[in-house]
Amino acid sequence: MPTPKWLVVARNEYRTHINHLRVIRPYFPVLAIGLLAIYVAFIAPAVVSLFIDDFIAFILSQVAVVMIPLIMFLLFVYLIILPITYTLQGMQAGQVEIFLAAPINPGDILLGEYLGEVPFYAIAIAVIAGFFTAALSPLGLDMLQMGLTVLIFVVTLLSALWIGTVIAAVVRTRLATSARGRDIGKALSLVLALPMVALMYALMGGGLLEALADPGAGGIVKGVLGLLPSSWGAALILSFASNPGNIGAVGFETLTQFGGLLVFFMAVLWGGLKAASRAYRIEPTTFTASMAKPDGFFYRGVKYVGGGKSFGTLLAALFKEYGRRLENLSRIAYVLAIFVMVNVFFVRGFTDPEGSLVMAQFLFPFLAVFMVGQVAMQGKEGLFIYKKTPTGVERFVKAKLIQGWLVAVPVAAGITIVSFIAISSASFSSFVAYIVLITLLVAANVALALGLALVKPQFSDNARAQMGSLMLNANVAMFVSMGVFIGSMVVLDWGIFNTLLLQNGVIWLMGIVFLNLGKRKLSSME
Amino acid sequence: MKVIIRTESLSKHYGRGNAIKAVDALDLQVFEGETFGLLGPNGAGKTTTVRLLNCIITPTKGTATVSGYDIIRQPNDVKRVTGLLAESPGLYEKLSAHEFLEFMGALYDVPNDILAERIDDLLQLFELYDRRDYLLEGYSRGMKQKVLIAAAMIHDPPLLFFDEPTSMLDPRAALMVKDLIKQLAQSAGKTIFICSHILPIVEELCDRIGIINQGQLIAVGTINEIIAQTGTKTLEEAFIALTGGVEEKELLAWREQKGAHA
Repeated sequence: MPTPKWLVVARNEYRTHINHLRVIRPYFPVLAIGLLAIYVAFIAPAVVSLFIDDFIAFILSQVAVVMIPLIMFLLFVYLIILPITYTLQGMQAGQVEIFLAAPINPGDILLGEYLGEVPFYAIAIAVIAGFFTAALSPLGLDMLQMGLTVLIFVVTLLSALWIGTVIAAVVRTRLATSARGRDIGKALSLVLALPMVALMYALMGGGLLEALADPGAGGIVKGVLGLLPSSWGAALILSFASNPGNIGAVGFETLTQFGGLLVFFMAVLWGGLKAASRAYRIEPTTFTASMAKPDGFFYRGVKYVGGGKSFGTLLAALFKEYGRRLENLSRIAYVLAIFVMVNVFFVRGFTDPEGSLVMAQFLFPFLAVFMVGQVAMQGKEGLFIYKKTPTGVERFVKAKLIQGWLVAVPVAAGITIVSFIAISSASFSSFVAYIVLITLLVAANVALALGLALVKPQFSDNARAQMGSLMLNANVAMFVSMGVFIGSMVVLDWGIFNTLLLQNGVIWLMGIVFLNLGKRKLSSME
Repeated sequence: MKVIIRTESLSKHYGRGNAIKAVDALDLQVFEGETFGLLGPNGAGKTTTVRLLNCIITPTKGTATVSGYDIIRQPNDVKRVTGLLAESPGLYEKLSAHEFLEFMGALYDVPNDILAERIDDLLQLFELYDRRDYLLEGYSRGMKQKVLIAAAMIHDPPLLFFDEPTSMLDPRAALMVKDLIKQLAQSAGKTIFICSHILPIVEELCDRIGIINQGQLIAVGTINEIIAQTGTKTLEEAFIALTGGVEEKELLAWREQKGAHA
């Protein structure tokens, strides 16, 4: 009897996911289960024991009535977003063609893709469920209640993962067949998580937690969350906590809420399989080819800044290549959104510039790296164009640096101006001094980011590989910036103005060094 | 002779009001055991035709039968009797060649006892056996193409579609693939459907050819018949006569612009 097709696809998907652990692949399931067993039996209870009294007080409080459904909601949404993001980052229509040419039903492909990734998500689910069961066990929950608690996590989160997998497959079909669609997908993959980030920031520093403790506000949130399947299991877990060892007292809730959860899971499974035929197509979805308009005021201005001759044309071309990728614009939008959220939720009420500037220490290196860090994404062939042309490497690095400055410096200046406007006590002279120092600092960060990207280029247009490289470089730049900031402010107690001067000195120096190293690397690249 | 592929007004139209006619009213017959070549310039509709005949996309109008199975009503039966080397297929780059062929074999229900041996044989045939456990991401384009050809043959189908089979191969590998196609047709009795715009390949391999342009089949027959129909001397001249080309006097016109000698 032939192997069921969904199992063939699932095995293939599993192998693809586990390729980076090929050496231990045969032992991976045993290893994972063993480590999870150790975690559930020893580590989770040990960790929980450190704050068990606070946790029990929390779980029996009014805040928990809203918080636990909120946590479940966040996990639910996270597991929907994760497969979508993963798919958007690495969309390929070619693999779909392999399936379409084979005698396999779309439902089997979808189910196989889902089951192939389930083992990895199951590890995360086991960690979360293990933590909660360890925390709830001191209350005296019986085995049935404990088992149901675990099942609630499993069913809720696997439902979310299935919904995410189905949406990801449909989105891939809509976007993967055109270059524009793939660009939109990569752009979306970054900004998709922003609402989640906003909610978490609001919980961490925005006073949402305190607001939820208020019965009025908490009641509204609880009412809204109660409509979502993610909350049904959460409500049941809270009922178990209130009636430990007495499942009979919550028999009706168990039947309706857990039963409802199971029905929901079956319904989304059925609906997803029905939608599968829409999820695997390679028919073109658009015939509108993007067209370039004649150079307008902006590009003519860029050419002028570049001297108006061939270097100006090169600079404008780099700008066009950068600006026409939604993926690049979404990265800038992401940094700006994070800046706004940080200021709204964490920096509110500060009366001196330090608060805003500390936060900016995290953001400016990211902004710089997102601007110029993808320098090698079109592969070595893309860079060889510059190696082939007379003085090409010099001109390319110079053009890329100016391009980075022309975008990052105004953005950083805008961010700084907005931050200072909120501080009514700042004098005009300090305002101007800070603007100058911060824009210079951002310019230095751009030089450092470009140098880092050239020293260790990422030759791939795969969004995940690129993002990994960008994050590494951004973290290097950020830690340098933060290190100097903390050293100067805390250790030397130099004050913010001198600190900015020192940071400018250090990062400009590093930027120049890395830029030269990068140029040498690019010149000797083979 | 038995007809293996028969299309009847097969059409695939896209866009608003079906204005873009990727394939338009295609009537074609391919006979059992022959090697048929579909020639055409870029964007002529070759790949769309292959996708229609492999049930990857559905026709807007018309239909076709492949080995007697209807492409609309019996897609899985069609897929079982065909093998496809697509023009730009997606490989699972994180799988090894062996794993990928194992996966493809399972998709086509090749029994396990046959599959293992067949994978080894195909890898040896394509001189990839020593690299069978390397991830495909580390393969050259030519090596990937070999793996994809092996994948198209993994279930030993009676009808094979090759969309630009040698476009990425070095001369040695291209020669091997050409010999393989010849043997598949002559010794194994396979029907081969080749899409290409590389004329020497088509001339060397194909018993009959069809020329498609802007979605329409504009000529079909043996190479000699098509040359005779167009009153030309070579297939290249016949192809240009049928599909249009650039006038010789236009070729250097770009040098006469102001500033061209700078």
